Amino acid sequence: MQQFLVSIIIVVLTVGMYLGMNRLYLKYSFAFLLPLLTTTIAIIVILSVLQLSYETYMIGGEWINQLLGPAVVALALPLYKQRKTLMSQLVPIVGGVLIGLVVGMISGVLLAEVFGVSENLILSIIPKSITTPVAIQVASAIGGIPSLTIVFVLLAGLTGAVLGPLIFRWFRITSPIGRGIAFGSASHAIGTSKAKEFDELTVSISSVSMTLSAILGSSFGTLVVWLFNM
Amino acid sequence: MMYTTKVIFQIGILFGLFYIGSYLKDLLHIPLPGSIIGLLLLLILLLLKILPIHWVQDGANVLITFLPLLLVPATVSVMNEPSLFSGKGVILFGIIIGSTIVTMISAGWGSQHLERIAKKRKENVRCNNSLSQ
Repeated sequence: MQQFLVSIIIVVLTVGMYLGMNRLYLKYSFAFLLPLLTTTIAIIVILSVLQLSYETYMIGGEWINQLLGPAVVALALPLYKQRKTLMSQLVPIVGGVLIGLVVGMISGVLLAEVFGVSENLILSIIPKSITTPVAIQVASAIGGIPSLTIVFVLLAGLTGAVLGPLIFRWFRITSPIGRGIAFGSASHAIGTSKAKEFDELTVSISSVSMTLSAILGSSFGTLVVWLFNM
Repeated sequence: MMYTTKVIFQIGILFGLFYIGSYLKDLLHIPLPGSIIGLLLLLILLLLKILPIHWVQDGANVLITFLPLLLVPATVSVMNEPSLFSGKGVILFGIIIGSTIVTMISAGWGSQHLERIAKKRKENVRCNNSLSQ
């Protein structure tokens, strides 16, 4: 009974905090006010002040966490709705997503090896361009640390959202297809929400490439690990 | 109230697909996460018109809209990794930022080129057709 009460309190706290942070973000729409980021920081601060462990938080957190599986399944819907866009530009979209996946994973591994990063950290870096709920599963499948992967995924998203417009200008990436794929395959959902500042086509291409990246990337991770003999 | 019931029911369907996906993964040893197999199953059901889109649409929209909220508990786990915010963390963050920039440039630039090639090919086909007529 007490366990149940604790769970309710944690769920209410998390949902309430998120809704508040979301309002803050809608008001100022500044990349670093991303609700996931601010809510997480606020909750960590609360837990630290009350000296509660992550395991205690997860008594209730697990209830929310359970919804991640069906949420990934739900990503089939936007992909289904945009099937015409996908089919009309199949080669550039699938080709671009594959380039993004290969470059995203391999450049992460190579940079990490240059800086002498340890293996379990490299394994946590590999899925960073994939949307978080899938990246967590890829990380644990290949032997990485999921909680580190989440931070890397967030950072990859923020990097793309903040630097994307500059990169497009410097490297003359002008077509909605090019921009959408750059956002979706490097910066997943955070990039896709930044794409909303461009045009409709950029948003749908970004959302399609984010989902394709997740589908293809979920098996690609294993391949990269095998390739680098890790 | 009607809407809430509908959303809960539809999330139930998505849950079902997730469990079937996870079951198939274990049964057939598919090297994909159960949720991705569920996603592919849903896509097939929608494409074959076995499952009408309005059976899952509202539930799926709610889950996708609140995806950042659903990710909060998993993200809070970073509190167990304090080493990330030390000196070593700065290098890791640099690697992620660098790799993301390279990824954006190559994916954007590459797909823009593929798009041009595809367009040119279409035009060539059109030209050849008009010549032969």
